[in-house]
Amino acid sequence: MGFLAPWFLAGLAAVGLPLWLHLLKRHRSTPTPFPSIRFFERRTQSSIKHRRLHYLLLFAARTALVVVLALAFANPFLRWQSGAGAGGRKLIVLAVDNSFSMRQGGRLERAKREALAVAARARPDDRVQALAFASRVQQVDAIQAIAPDDGASSYAELARALRSLAPAAGLPLEVHLFSDMQKTSLPASFADVRLPDGAALILHPVASGPLPNYAVESVTAPARVFEAGARVQATVAGYGAPAATERVSLVFNGKVQASKTVDVPANGRATVEFPAIEPPFGGNRGEVRIDSGDAFPEDDRFLFSIERSEPRRALFIHDARDPRSALYVETALDASPATAVKLDSLSVEQAGGISPDKYAFVVLSDVAALPAGFESAVARYVREGGSLLITLGPATAARGRVPILNEAVVPARYEAAESSDRWEGVRFFQAARVESRTARVEARLSDSTPLLMEQRVGEGRVLVFASTFDNISNDFPLHASFVPFIQQTAQDLAGVARQSPTLVVGSHLELGTGRRGAAVEVLGPSGERALSLEESTRAQTLRLDRAGFYDVRRPSGRQELVAVNPDRRESDFSPVPEETLALWRNTGQPAVGSASQAEAREERRSLGWYFLAAALALAAAESVLANRYLSVNREAP
Amino acid sequence: MLQRFLDPRVLAGISGLDLVAKTVVQGFISGLHRSPDFGFSQEFAEYRAYTQGDDLRHVDWNVFARTERCYLKRYRGETNTQLMVLLDASASMGYASQSVTKLDYARYLAASLCYLANQQRDVAGLIVFDDEVRDYVAPSSRHGQIFRLLHAIEKAESGSRTDFAKPFIHFQQFLKRHGLVAVISDFYEDPDKVIRTMQPLRFRGNEVILFHILDPREIAPGFREPALVVDLESRESLEVSPEYVRHEYRDKMDAHIAALRDGAMGAGMDYFLMNTGRPLDEGLREYLTVRQGRM
Repeated sequence: MGFLAPWFLAGLAAVGLPLWLHLLKRHRSTPTPFPSIRFFERRTQSSIKHRRLHYLLLFAARTALVVVLALAFANPFLRWQSGAGAGGRKLIVLAVDNSFSMRQGGRLERAKREALAVAARARPDDRVQALAFASRVQQVDAIQAIAPDDGASSYAELARALRSLAPAAGLPLEVHLFSDMQKTSLPASFADVRLPDGAALILHPVASGPLPNYAVESVTAPARVFEAGARVQATVAGYGAPAATERVSLVFNGKVQASKTVDVPANGRATVEFPAIEPPFGGNRGEVRIDSGDAFPEDDRFLFSIERSEPRRALFIHDARDPRSALYVETALDASPATAVKLDSLSVEQAGGISPDKYAFVVLSDVAALPAGFESAVARYVREGGSLLITLGPATAARGRVPILNEAVVPARYEAAESSDRWEGVRFFQAARVESRTARVEARLSDSTPLLMEQRVGEGRVLVFASTFDNISNDFPLHASFVPFIQQTAQDLAGVARQSPTLVVGSHLELGTGRRGAAVEVLGPSGERALSLEESTRAQTLRLDRAGFYDVRRPSGRQELVAVNPDRRESDFSPVPEETLALWRNTGQPAVGSASQAEAREERRSLGWYFLAAALALAAAESVLANRYLSVNREAP
Repeated sequence: MLQRFLDPRVLAGISGLDLVAKTVVQGFISGLHRSPDFGFSQEFAEYRAYTQGDDLRHVDWNVFARTERCYLKRYRGETNTQLMVLLDASASMGYASQSVTKLDYARYLAASLCYLANQQRDVAGLIVFDDEVRDYVAPSSRHGQIFRLLHAIEKAESGSRTDFAKPFIHFQQFLKRHGLVAVISDFYEDPDKVIRTMQPLRFRGNEVILFHILDPREIAPGFREPALVVDLESRESLEVSPEYVRHEYRDKMDAHIAALRDGAMGAGMDYFLMNTGRPLDEGLREYLTVRQGRM
């Protein structure tokens, strides 16, 4: 027991007041003349003794009133133990970390055993809720049913779930966290792990201590190769590990293509390169793995996919009087063989019987009018998923409308307007102003005129460049920025990613199944269908929950192989510092110890109101007693 | 109206004891006229047939003229009752819880009795005493007797303590003729002793009336808190508690009054408790009742 305001105990000195009233003041009676005291003789003494007995009761009531009032203001409190053995009804949350790192050394099984033990100790009136969390938090009905996940654990997600759980439960939370306490699980902002008010966090670390670990951190490989000689680069990292020499192998479709040894510095990274690889034609399941092995072999392999195919072709339609644009663009594409796009340049007149369907994308370079059959073929090609690049120059402006899109065009001339962003030094002398409300503007000139716009048409998309590539309306082709612009635009339009589409667990794969009846078929790492029939036609994205290869078959017939790897943050077993954990516990309420200390958590319960109520009762008793003993006798003689 | 005039507090505002007595008595008598039960001296009583030897001066000649028979007129009021007022002027009589002290009240009562007696041509006397005889006015029916009585009553002041035994030795010397004795006192004495002291007067053929004068606060002292009471006669002091006064004191006082009343009745005396908070006419009525009995 203690006092929150002990200085009020000085009020106990007021006990002297009733003492003075009862023992000192009453001896100073004023003499009252009376005709005769013959009836107040000896028995008067006994009467006074009798009165003193009664007054002692009044004195006791008054003294107790003063004492209780002083105690009430001093606000006494009781220390009481809460936790598993004491306290009121509460919601016990058993949060089990089932992230990728919990696969190491049976950590998940240990966490589940401890969670079951805590659940067994819960009192009958407590509610128990089990949660499994990695990058997402899921409520589970049975702790034993918690399966390992390939995602990265996120304490921020757990805290967010707890904050939403607390008001709905209406009970104080006692959160038991069963995790390997990886430092990488903490978010960048500590405020994100704030616990709900009144929540007690009890930690159950299941990791025995820091664990040295080597892992293939990343792999850099082209997504598509067109000829032999491509290069694969892998980074091997050591987390809290000493320097070591590791043997690393490159595997395609289960067959080892090459092996190398690499010296990994202590707690550092090393890069290993496999040059001049020659993957088979078609989609290949690639893998870079550490052969040596360590305490956590699950992260010793890194998956990637690589496709070997012929270069893609693009159709370039230009005005017969403008051969320069095709020259500049083709030269830019040829500057890098990795672009893997070959250009077929034709004039408008030559395009009459050409079908655009076999091309990766089509470029309409400042064309005024297209052959009717060709224009409708291009429009259909775009609607069905094709890509189109349109440049606007004097010919288009004379026509007044953008081909295919039919948007209005207004010509504009400039003294020397410059583009903004990365195209510094590029000067534009002519540009077309397109009045479009649906297009997304990617780049603007310095006067805010849209320069590069993107618009989706059906399944396909159209890029509009509001000037030309002929070095007349602008000097863009003469600048160094022209080559990467053309190469990236070509790869983007052709759907050819430069890097391997390697994703991490938890990321989303864009499916883009907007067309009615067009279904995307996705086979998961185990060969099962990742989408139901309804999802295959309606889902826009797919969350990749498991590590492995996802086989995606688009409505256009194109087949992709997507490699999904666990987040490499899970490979770092550095634990969260103890100070950080203490701070985390304090976000909910005053410090709680570890699992063993938390069983005896101390809380304070104020008794001030009880003493105040007792003071009121005593005041009432004092009034009754005083009225009974000290009231004036008013009865008539 | 009568109540207002006889209220002791109203009487205290009237200067001059003769005027007080006159106010009381005349107001009281005018009130009595309404009562058929009371009549007193100088009134026609009855006719009686003449017998030989009767004084012819009492023959009603008017009746004889009408009836030719001799009848004698008999009158009341031809008695010569002697009233002796014994007024206690001890220190305890000086107590007052209001504007009128017990002694003032006793003086009004004594003056009213004397005035009433004088109106009826009775012989009246006065003895003022405490533990000694302080003043004495011999009974007389002479002209001016009432003024002597009133003067003696007016100058009576509260003295020392009461002692019935000592002055009553002298009373017996003064009271040679039997009559009516009115003792006005607060009787702070043992009731047996009071009765024993008064009994010789009764044996001599006197009618004795004890007027017990008490203040309302003496009967029920309403002490709010413990008080240190000081005896007005002995100057002794005692601390008393309110609850004692409320219960035991009341019991003892009631027992004292009852003992005095019973003792007086047993000795053939009349006893009347007079509360100084109440009108005087009750005392006068008591006197006249006894006076009627003596005619």
